[in-house]
Amino acid sequence: MFLEVPKNLSKISVLKDRAHMLAQVRAFFSDKNVLEVDCPLATTFASIDTHIDLLPALYNNQTTRYLTSSPEYGMKRLLAQGMGHIYQLAHVFRDGECGNKHNPEFMMIEWYRLDFTLQQMSQETCNLIQLFIGPLPMQVISYREAFQKFLNVDYVHTTEKQLLELIQEKKIETYPGIEEDGKDALLNLLLATCIEPQLGEKALCILQHYPASQCALATKKQIEDEFVAERFEIYYQGLELANGYHELTDAKEQRKRFVISNSERLKNGKKELPIDEYFLSALEKGLPNCSGVAVGFDRLMMIRHQTPFIEDVIPFSWEKA
Amino acid sequence: MAQVSTNEFKAGVKVEVEGQPYTIVSNEFVKPGKGQAFNRVRLKHLMTNRVVEKTFKSGDKVDVADVVEAKMRMLYKENDGVNFMDDDTFEQVKVPLDSIGDNIQWLKDDLVYDIIFYKGNPVTVEPPTFLELVITETNPGDRGNTASGRVMKPAILETGAKIQVPIFIEQGEKIKVDTRTGEYVSRST
Repeated sequence: MFLEVPKNLSKISVLKDRAHMLAQVRAFFSDKNVLEVDCPLATTFASIDTHIDLLPALYNNQTTRYLTSSPEYGMKRLLAQGMGHIYQLAHVFRDGECGNKHNPEFMMIEWYRLDFTLQQMSQETCNLIQLFIGPLPMQVISYREAFQKFLNVDYVHTTEKQLLELIQEKKIETYPGIEEDGKDALLNLLLATCIEPQLGEKALCILQHYPASQCALATKKQIEDEFVAERFEIYYQGLELANGYHELTDAKEQRKRFVISNSERLKNGKKELPIDEYFLSALEKGLPNCSGVAVGFDRLMMIRHQTPFIEDVIPFSWEKA
Repeated sequence: MAQVSTNEFKAGVKVEVEGQPYTIVSNEFVKPGKGQAFNRVRLKHLMTNRVVEKTFKSGDKVDVADVVEAKMRMLYKENDGVNFMDDDTFEQVKVPLDSIGDNIQWLKDDLVYDIIFYKGNPVTVEPPTFLELVITETNPGDRGNTASGRVMKPAILETGAKIQVPIFIEQGEKIKVDTRTGEYVSRST
């Protein structure tokens, strides 16, 4: 299954391998009878996420459309209409996300599987990742376990004040105003600085069961004294590769989360975004029980070619696009 | 005051943080999962050259440091400073010795240097990366001692800098030196 990676890291040889891997991804889904869809990238309504900013596009010189940050809403509308298992392999756009590991325009592989559990979904995601980097072993760790293992704290029973003390003790530089951003912001900083870099040293690491407060579009459930989101991320060598959910199907709950995200955006000095009524009415009609995941294709190429720079694996960097 | 967003942080941009002027050395964008993005930025203090790491929330803005760079020709040294002149405007400025620091060893009459002004005051003198300078003092090489590769000996340059040169270099010769490291590069061509 594992393909010999070309040793020569000339741009053209990487791009030839990129073409090859795009074909491999399509073959992966074709073998499983998962159909390719191509939902629109310039949409009337926007993906609403507290911490994801969108690139607007001006239509007819007067109407704002949004370049999608993920094809999720469109794909879920198709799921509600009975399309079955589907995937989309397309570029998505995120304003301001530019760095060694980020390009504001990047290639995303997103797919949905009917009646898949979170565990089945993360398993299949690992299988796809293995197409790129070989038959690596997998390990599963919960968000709570990760904080216990790497920081020796039980985040559920830790106050904001204690987390702030821990951040100081670890000599992590904070940004101004983090105290007002709440517990999730503190957890987020600790995760990024103390945990993520250590995830997946020799195996694909599935980090799952995020705090319920970080659920995005995932269902929630209770495990003992902890409310968790049925959400996972996959890491290899400290690099985040995938984000998956057991999908929320409750339209009312979804609308509530949009409203919360918008109010958080306002609090952070960002603009509110219009709520996608097409998507919500699809949920009201009935989204089948399913799990879904989004994988960064470029990140997989970075690991495949052992480079820390995303611009090494895409045709042109953001600066030169 | 002009401001610059973390998205525009690039090596070389001069910013003012907590009332101090810094040059940005590097900027790493970090965005874990679906959380708040932030930037981990390495900053070099304009005067002390001390490097610190700071974290900024992505999209936040900081003040641009009031820093101006000018190319100026060195005129003459005095007890408390060195005088430079702008070739275009003929404007002259005396840079205090404190601000010049160790770079005093690379100053030579009539050469052009980068002078950095912070809030209107000269705070740093940057010599060119490579300079061609005459050796004013070095002992004759001991010819018997060249068997094991490159043998070095001490030498003093016309600007006063003390460096190591290969044993075959003689007093009075002009050589090329790297001012960042103080290392001998080659004979002057």
